[in-house]
Amino acid sequence: MRVLIVEDDRDLNRQLVSALTDAGYAVDAAFDGEEGYFLGDTEPYDVVILDTGLPKMDGIRVLEQWRRSERNMPVIILTARDRWSDKVAGMDAGADDYVAKPFHMQELLARVRAQMRRASGHARSDIECGPLRLDTKTARVTMNGQPIKLTSHEYRLLAYLMHHNERVVSRTELVEHLYEQDFDRDSNTIEVFIGRLRKKIPPDMIKTIRGLGYRLSKEGDEN
Amino acid sequence: MKTNSLAFRLFVTAAAWVLVVLPIAGWIIFSRYRYEAVTTFDTRISFFLTVVISDADEHSESGPTPPNNWGEGLFEITHSGWYWQIKPLDGRPGPTLRSRSLSGDGLPLPSEHKIEPNDKEVRWGNFVGPGDQRVRIAEQVYVFGEGKSAQRYSVAVAGRLSEVEENLAAFRSQLIQALALAGIGLLAVTLFQIRFGLFPLSRVEQSLAAIRSGEAAKLDGELPTEIKPLQQELNALLKSNQEIVERARTHVGNLAHALKTPLAVLINEARGDPSPLARKVAEQADTMTTQVNLYLDRARMAARIGVIGRVTEVRPVGESIVRALERIYRDKQITYSLDCPAGTRFQGERQDLEEMLGNLLDNASKWARSRVSLVAAATSGGGPNGASGNWLEIRVDDDGPGLTPEQVAEPIARGRRLDETKPGSGLGHSIVADLAYCYSGKFELTRSEAGGLSARLTLPLAT
Repeated sequence: MRVLIVEDDRDLNRQLVSALTDAGYAVDAAFDGEEGYFLGDTEPYDVVILDTGLPKMDGIRVLEQWRRSERNMPVIILTARDRWSDKVAGMDAGADDYVAKPFHMQELLARVRAQMRRASGHARSDIECGPLRLDTKTARVTMNGQPIKLTSHEYRLLAYLMHHNERVVSRTELVEHLYEQDFDRDSNTIEVFIGRLRKKIPPDMIKTIRGLGYRLSKEGDEN
Repeated sequence: MKTNSLAFRLFVTAAAWVLVVLPIAGWIIFSRYRYEAVTTFDTRISFFLTVVISDADEHSESGPTPPNNWGEGLFEITHSGWYWQIKPLDGRPGPTLRSRSLSGDGLPLPSEHKIEPNDKEVRWGNFVGPGDQRVRIAEQVYVFGEGKSAQRYSVAVAGRLSEVEENLAAFRSQLIQALALAGIGLLAVTLFQIRFGLFPLSRVEQSLAAIRSGEAAKLDGELPTEIKPLQQELNALLKSNQEIVERARTHVGNLAHALKTPLAVLINEARGDPSPLARKVAEQADTMTTQVNLYLDRARMAARIGVIGRVTEVRPVGESIVRALERIYRDKQITYSLDCPAGTRFQGERQDLEEMLGNLLDNASKWARSRVSLVAAATSGGGPNGASGNWLEIRVDDDGPGLTPEQVAEPIARGRRLDETKPGSGLGHSIVADLAYCYSGKFELTRSEAGGLSARLTLPLAT
């Protein structure tokens, strides 16, 4: 799952990158409105955390321009201006949620998870697929109630597949959503991680659909 | 016209002036006219006296002869009011001659009433003459005859006094009518002058009312040069007032931004570190956050004091907040209902109404199971503390768990937070109570019909 952080305060930006990376997300950071707009316009993010008071281009304008060009990823606005007029302006510009500074990182992470779930059509914080159960709050996966040990890359891959279970996910989509912007997209790491995951979960659950990609299905499904 | 008004003062001054000056002028004119009339009358009597004496003295050496050569018919008509009489004095014998108009009656004589003669040896007096007519009599002592037959006679001529008096009465009546007309005319002109002269002031009064009710932002219109400086100063004051408020708001906003981002960094950094110092920093940063929020709210409110003439339509504000909340709480699938007639307007700042409705609706959404409703309507009378006038009543209901009876009973005091220690959590109602208090309004919490919480706001209504 890939997150974009647009925040001009370098310390806060660093903290957000660190917390979200620790939570298992692939994170890109931008430090001004123009850079943020460009990234959000060109890369497929699952969630964007957008500060409103940005240099070069105001956060609200960045958001409006994304929405105008039909970039519909969930956007959480982060701002020190917490009056209702600011909130309403943010939501009217197309934001999906609103977090006022100063905030508790756990609260922000919960909001990010909620947006991810909402975008993939899941209402609850844990996602089940056959014997597998993903707890988005704790970033843990269990199989038949037993925790599975996963590296961060393995977790990201499995979590993305679980969010979009029963759907064919292309290799390109996986690369775009699991790795940061500067990742070498030609490498075969996805195949490597799929192979590793198949050893940790029932191997039939991740099916390779030739020429199209992969699909995570409940065990025993045909195709 | 109110007694304590410029118009009343001007009118009373003008009216008093008219009431004093016109009678004095009337009195002077009348006195002058009476003097002229009486003098003319006396001159006429004097003339007749001279004619009577010279005529009676013309042919007789032994005494007066009846004068008959003057052609004045009034002396021939019985009791015409015009008489002459020649009467011997000192008890001496001699003929007493009288005009025919006396018809044998005698004339009362000034000399018999001890009236002294003037420098021309003529005595003047007003008496009741024959036929009870008031007459003015001139009497002169004249010696008719020569030598031994020389004898003093009283020669008197009387004129009808009512002739002058009637003339004077007619003049006085006409004078009074003319002056009264002039007085009424003057008062009418004064009234018009005041209305016309003070019309720009009443326009200023209307403009100020429009500013106060929010229909106008400044004092518009072409005003006379005398009050143009007032208009300019007032507009400058309104502008400066607005600028001060805007500046204060900008500073507050900037301060919020300047403080909150470093606080967020501090809190997050400290929470990721288990050392005692980091714990202390996190704890203190949390306290600072609470204080910053509290005083920023207060500063925002203080910046609003003195702002006049703002009016906010309630419905669009409610709609925009509901729109935002529908996105924020879309997972809960809350049904929002908004019952607010178009044209219902709050007498106050849009941002304040947004803050109050935002907090109430957000709180209701947090706790609601499936429904949140906003009802706003105008009420007359029944304002806070029994205040009369028109008020706006806003009710936000939810179907959540509501408050406990103790919490409902507990009044929400101004400046006191139910959630003093945790910003952003708890009920967040104290800011609403503070704002309502700023507008002399009322805020109370009760149990809603749906079982949840019902928050009621009473605020000034813009009419």
